[in-house]
Amino acid sequence: MTIEVSSLKELVEQASGDDRSPDTQEYFVNMGPQHPSTHGVLRLVLKLDGERVLRCIPVLGYIHRSIEKISEHMNYMNCVHLTDRMDYLSSIMNNWAVSKAVEEAAGIEVNSRIQYIRTIFAELERIQSHQLWWGVLGMDLGAFTPFLYGIRDREVLNDVMEETVGARLTMNYVLPGGLMADIHPNFVHRVKEFIKYFRPKLDEYDDLLTNNVIIQERLRNVGVLSAQTAVQYGATGPVLRGSGVAFDLRKDHPYGVYDQADFEVPVGTVGDSWDRYWVRVEEMRQSLNIVEQLLDNIPPGDFLVKKLNSKIKIPEGRYYSQLETARGILGVFIASDKKDEPYRMHYRSPNFNNLWCLEPMIKGDYIASLIGAMSSLDLVIPDIDR
Amino acid sequence: MGVVTDKLPGALEKVPGGNVLVTRFDEIINWARANSLWPLTFGTSCCAIEMLMATGGPRHDLARFGAEVARPSPRQADLLILAGTIVKRMAPRLRTLYEQMAEPRYVIATGACTISGGPFIYHSYTTVRGADEIIPVDVYVPGCPPRPEQLFHGLLTLQKMIKEGETIREPGVRRKPVISALPEGVTLEDIQGQMKELLVKENVVDVQHAVDKLKWPSGLNERSSGKSDANESGAGDGT
Ligand code: SF4
Repeated sequence: MTIEVSSLKELVEQASGDDRSPDTQEYFVNMGPQHPSTHGVLRLVLKLDGERVLRCIPVLGYIHRSIEKISEHMNYMNCVHLTDRMDYLSSIMNNWAVSKAVEEAAGIEVNSRIQYIRTIFAELERIQSHQLWWGVLGMDLGAFTPFLYGIRDREVLNDVMEETVGARLTMNYVLPGGLMADIHPNFVHRVKEFIKYFRPKLDEYDDLLTNNVIIQERLRNVGVLSAQTAVQYGATGPVLRGSGVAFDLRKDHPYGVYDQADFEVPVGTVGDSWDRYWVRVEEMRQSLNIVEQLLDNIPPGDFLVKKLNSKIKIPEGRYYSQLETARGILGVFIASDKKDEPYRMHYRSPNFNNLWCLEPMIKGDYIASLIGAMSSLDLVIPDIDR
Repeated sequence: MGVVTDKLPGALEKVPGGNVLVTRFDEIINWARANSLWPLTFGTSCCAIEMLMATGGPRHDLARFGAEVARPSPRQADLLILAGTIVKRMAPRLRTLYEQMAEPRYVIATGACTISGGPFIYHSYTTVRGADEIIPVDVYVPGCPPRPEQLFHGLLTLQKMIKEGETIREPGVRRKPVISALPEGVTLEDIQGQMKELLVKENVVDVQHAVDKLKWPSGLNERSSGKSDANESGAGDGT
């Protein structure tokens, strides 16, 4: 595969240069950065031939908050809290990724109670994230009702988590060395109630959207991403699994207590938007299973290994650790120079790689399909820009 | 508003006691403006989920404020809800969007980021430290992210400001911005109750109150309060 590197300006000049045909004219359209269906501030420069998309170039930087740079001025306890603001729909998993990296590097062992609670919360948040995505996908395709359904159920789960965590979105729950607080006494009971509530609702989701002819027509064979391209572009998470590659860190390199739970990894066959949709809906079911299995076995113990002060020091060297968020693999790279602040902190965000799959997916297709295909990628822009 | 502000007050001045009519116009116009805020959703990051998605959902339901007609186009909106960090690259776009909105336009800045830069205030080389460096803001809603209740509280604050503030004689005169922090212990139910009260109150037009509020030239006062009894029933039915 060859990668062309050219500036936007060159591309535009090129396009106006080779317009020689008498009856068709290629033109550029800017989509974003303030556009209702780009889910935030993504800007896409589209090269169109009539309604066909010839090129689709993402332009980034509209929400670049320099989180990596700020982290260099913070100790390891503090930089965890910035990661909530990257992929805010997987905030606990982001916290966990940094905590895991710091723990592995500093040699901190956490007890199994902490691991159980982290795993349960991560799965609950995965459900929450997919609920929102499900609603928004419906809205992107022109149906407003799914959005109301998705948000309704998300609020139910939000209440359960808020009782323990104390926040609704940026949860800040996981720390290097443990958790912010112990689980609320009601937690186990309420999660069980939620599982009982949400299982039938998933069937309702199926009736409403999954088995809907219009949705199927809009998603099937649209935005096909072959397994080879997905791997080449470094796609992860449901995008990769939708293309038929059964790679899930939870299964292949278990962390937390995923090895104690029995669950399946849903995999698509064709790699179209429909497969990615189906993988996510199925993942919600599997997450419910995981939570159900772990909930009764939470062992007793402390929620923090020991009272850690903010001066965690990491031996000199480079460390990398990764885990599976709702959108794919989040990698955390730390370069340490023996101080309590990182020398360099880098995040390998899942959305960044998933975004670049958009062009091979949509090339030659109609511009109307672009919205559905982009929605099936489930992008969170602040995670791309950081 | 061009016709009303330029021509109408002048025309009405000639009517004896025309002042009453003009002031009533203010109240009706402000009432209408306050209850039909069409927001332009400018969600850049995390706050957008809470401010624009959760509030649109069935639990919180932005619709009861008459503010659920979210417009993606600045030309059709009169309230700009800023939700999320603004970085230097986005700042010119935000300014453009604001300028494209028609007067009267209001701005609610939600979240720590739009107030001061929030968690990214130190050591960040891209974040804009507060939206008020770019555009004027009417109501600040603190939080990271604020709860949906807090946005509603902010909306109520803005509605109050609109109702009390502008007169059509001085269009575009800005009030001082206010911070609308949610008082401790206020729940969603309280805010919904407040909403209901307001709606009920607004369905009844209190003519006596409006007349009392007027500053009459000396000597007119007695005459008007005598007249207002007759007005009360008539105006009340009309609205
Ligand atoms: S105030 Fe907090 S939640 Fe809101 S955009 Fe800023 S960092 Fe995100």
